[in-house]
Amino acid sequence: MIDGNLHWLLSYYRASEISGALFFGELSRTLPPSAIQQDMTRHFADEASHARYWTDCLAELGVAPLKLGVAYQDRYLDAAGIPANLMEILAITQVFEKRVVSQYALHGKSPDTPEMVRKTLARILDDEERHIRWIREALKDLEGAYGGETISAALKRYTLADRDVYRRTTQEHRERIGALRLAAR
Amino acid sequence: MITRNEVRQKISGLLEVDSASVKDDAGLFELASSSFRIVELVIELQEAFDVRFHQADMNEIDSVGDLIDLTVTRHNGRSGC
Repeated sequence: MIDGNLHWLLSYYRASEISGALFFGELSRTLPPSAIQQDMTRHFADEASHARYWTDCLAELGVAPLKLGVAYQDRYLDAAGIPANLMEILAITQVFEKRVVSQYALHGKSPDTPEMVRKTLARILDDEERHIRWIREALKDLEGAYGGETISAALKRYTLADRDVYRRTTQEHRERIGALRLAAR
Repeated sequence: MITRNEVRQKISGLLEVDSASVKDDAGLFELASSSFRIVELVIELQEAFDVRFHQADMNEIDSVGDLIDLTVTRHNGRSGC
């Protein structure tokens, strides 16, 4: 059996990947034909794969995923407001993906991380970095429609909101995520 | 000019819920089944009534009534110009 905090954290990662897959899957279905539609479709399929990787990882570690009600990104709309258009959806996603990369990289540095978890983190990080790249390019392409300054302002606003959500999440789950942060130092 | 009731009916249709449940004091999260449905609702309302919302507007939206007011104000304000 694995440590209870790790069990919870991996289940939390899985729940967040599922939320991402469902959100972007729905979005992919509604987008008109475009490069963004294609990238978004690949993105949601990747998120669904990540949920599978965490499920498989937990199984390999001898446990089933915990049923968790709220995923990390569910708190975004409260903290940052509802995105009003595709540009704002991409901006909030860019900020979220950077947070995922940062959290997974932090976890990978934690000395007691089981090898199976380390491998899963590395496998997912490759995809997440690709996600950041395509969204950055898509936002650049949208500069003509929305203006570079508007996009920069949206990214800044969502970055501040993300910091607030992350701070509140780590406070709420101090014993689970906080221990990881200390161990990685 | 559009009325609050027209927007309410549209929200009811978009969210596939009974119009009686689209009350002013209802929270968007109570009414919509997921985060995506809320985002979709906001985008589709803009298309349906040919209005544009901004992030600053969205920060003020807590309830269905807020969203209806924003849509009506933005549409009728523009129509009156």
